[in-house]
Amino acid sequence: MFGLITRRLLTAIPTLLVIILASFFLMRLAPGGPFDGERPLDPATQAALQQAYGLDRPLWDQAWLYVSRLVQGDFGPSLVYRDFTVSELIAQGLPISLMLGGLAIVMALAIGVTAGLFAAVRAGKAADKVIMMLATVATALPTFVTGPALALLFGLWLGLLPVSGTGDGVAWLIMPVVALALPVSGAIAKLTRAGLASVLKQDHIRTARARGLSETKILFKHGLRPALVPVASYLGPAAAGLLTGAVVVETVFGLPGLGRYFVQGALNRDYPLVLGVVTLYAALIILFNLFADLIYGWLDPRMREG
Amino acid sequence: MSLYEIRDLAVDIAGNRLVDKVSLAVDAGQCTAIIGASGSGKSLTCLTPFGLTPGVASGLIRLDGIDLASADVGQLSDARRKLAGFVFQQPLTALTPHLTVGAQLQEATMQAGSARPTRAELVRQLERVGLSRPDERLDQFPHRLSGGERQRVMIAAAIAHGPRLLIADEPTSALDASLRAEIMTLLDQLRAEQGLAMLLVSHDLASVEGHADQLVVMDKGRVVESGPAADIIANPAEEYTRRLIAATPRLDEPAPELSQPGDILLGTRDVAVEFQRPGWRRGRISAVVDASITVRQGESLALVGGSGSGKSTLGRAIAGIGPVTQGKILWQASALPQRRNRTLEMRRSIQPVFQDPVASLDPQWTVIDIVTEPLRNLRPDLDRAECNDSARQALSDVDLPEEFLTRMPASLSGGQAQRVAIARAMIASPQLLVLDEATSALDPLVGAEILALLARLQRENGLSLLFITHDIAAARRLCHRIAVMDDGCIVETGDIQAVIDHPRHPATQRLVAAS
Repeated sequence: MFGLITRRLLTAIPTLLVIILASFFLMRLAPGGPFDGERPLDPATQAALQQAYGLDRPLWDQAWLYVSRLVQGDFGPSLVYRDFTVSELIAQGLPISLMLGGLAIVMALAIGVTAGLFAAVRAGKAADKVIMMLATVATALPTFVTGPALALLFGLWLGLLPVSGTGDGVAWLIMPVVALALPVSGAIAKLTRAGLASVLKQDHIRTARARGLSETKILFKHGLRPALVPVASYLGPAAAGLLTGAVVVETVFGLPGLGRYFVQGALNRDYPLVLGVVTLYAALIILFNLFADLIYGWLDPRMREG
Repeated sequence: MSLYEIRDLAVDIAGNRLVDKVSLAVDAGQCTAIIGASGSGKSLTCLTPFGLTPGVASGLIRLDGIDLASADVGQLSDARRKLAGFVFQQPLTALTPHLTVGAQLQEATMQAGSARPTRAELVRQLERVGLSRPDERLDQFPHRLSGGERQRVMIAAAIAHGPRLLIADEPTSALDASLRAEIMTLLDQLRAEQGLAMLLVSHDLASVEGHADQLVVMDKGRVVESGPAADIIANPAEEYTRRLIAATPRLDEPAPELSQPGDILLGTRDVAVEFQRPGWRRGRISAVVDASITVRQGESLALVGGSGSGKSTLGRAIAGIGPVTQGKILWQASALPQRRNRTLEMRRSIQPVFQDPVASLDPQWTVIDIVTEPLRNLRPDLDRAECNDSARQALSDVDLPEEFLTRMPASLSGGQAQRVAIARAMIASPQLLVLDEATSALDPLVGAEILALLARLQRENGLSLLFITHDIAAARRLCHRIAVMDDGCIVETGDIQAVIDHPRHPATQRLVAAS
């Protein structure tokens, strides 16, 4: 197992490097620059700024400089939020994004696995069909529809929850987390049901039944773990997506998370900010896929053999 | 009164009566065997009364004085938990993959309400079924064990709670010949020690001979014949039973007439195959070590060995569908390159046939597409009509009517599917067929037909065969010579009758003794 972790972490280094360089050059291909405002700056100021941030040097030089600073943990200065470094901006946004994403994963898992279990046990019956239909709807609805709809219903009409910004307590978290978790929980419900349906047909379930075990025990002790393998493989990318892809939800509910800096950075051509966030996202995705692989090994020990 | 008794049992699934008028009885310490081809209803007969199939059982079913026919789900579950133990066919899949051997054995021990067993007790249970290094095994997951070891664990779990009746549904069908004999001996021994009643299901008469006291022969959901096993085997009253007995290859049957072989067609020189260890571990595994064999024109060579001996890997290397790490494969004295460098002519000359006939046919294709595929790839000079003509001829060569050309694989029986697979292999007029356990997955009756078909094809076409099998008696019906593999090495070669009469290597002796 430690072999796998070391190997995956070592292969992560070239992967990250490729992602960083690709983003670096792609971003420079986009027209415009960080200092193009409503009113053009005079050429002398423009040139001075370019020189101060090293933007006048050859591209390869800049790329090399960026990577060598990154290795020392320096994400560089923000070109637009002039008083902040990228590290400071990330430190502000990341906790909110992590909290949103983490809670959404937990909620999606709880709802999805429970609903999937319930449907699988009642396969073919009305309850199964209703749950699967709801799961399809939940998966199909984009967050930019559910987010405002939730805000309208619970925030404006019923006045139960705050519609925007952070606040004391946890009330402000509820709607963004639900909006984020809904589509993922639908997908997890479908995967859990399909996984269980195939596992419950397998020989080892008949062996458990031959032992006269209760159906509950058969389901939880012998059936559930292998049935969750597809869920785990979905969860790696999904978790990374939840932690990072909360852009829409953060915008809808006006939360100062990482996603907002990402979008603003891209619009402003704030090169170091965008690169910093991209690097972080890529690292998280690699990390979550590694977690998913470790979870496979626990769910089904045969996977440890490859 | 017998411990377990069934009278006039009927099993229905979705309104279809699949088993009818079956009666049998098992006494404590005795073994009753149900024998029949697949689809004869033998598994339904033994599992449905306990609620382990989707079927509904009716009739008189009595276990230890309890009426199972009128029992509800809870009572059936009680009967399974306390009175019965079950061993299933597939040791690969019958154990829960994510629970250790110890956890499953503990669950089985406690199923009838016993206290949590100590580790020493669990070790003793594994010792009782003859598993080596039992202490270590308790912490292992099932996939780390071999097929024979898993079946021993399965048996240990089936008797851990002290049942009165052991139901073994084809306990040895998925194992190779020498393991079969070991597992049957173990079951006999446990039956005697514990006074267990045993209901044994098998498609293979040879594997129950000498173990079963009573025999029930089934066909198409009905009993053909039943009575004391020794009497039925010695004097079968019914035609079906006689065919079943004759179909099972035996070492003491008269030697077959075989054609005279010609020049050397294929040879391997010190072929070795290595694989990267799977998964998270380092290192390489040697599957085949310096194997040298020869096959002559018109000759059948049996490549025999237990599971994991490397016989299939060597066969795949020869057919060019598996890797070769070292060594040479010679075809008529010139070196045969790796698959991608082989000419169409070379590819045409060697054709494979696999073990699982249904899995080796594309389920989305019609038989005509399947059978003509080799021609479309290997004979670009033929047009569509010529291909179709050849397909008709190929089907008639394997004794299938022309109507089969438009069928889909799902509508074929195992024997028909294997005939289609042989037609596919034969259509390009090969000189060598590599038959990888081509009869092992089939019922004895069907397997015997396929063996006869292969013998005829060889005789008529001067074909060479590489017959890969674990069944030395089946090989003897078809083959001139034998090469025995053990642990990746060829340990013994020679004329098949001479090797059977005087086996020198322990692996050969085991295989001969098990037949």
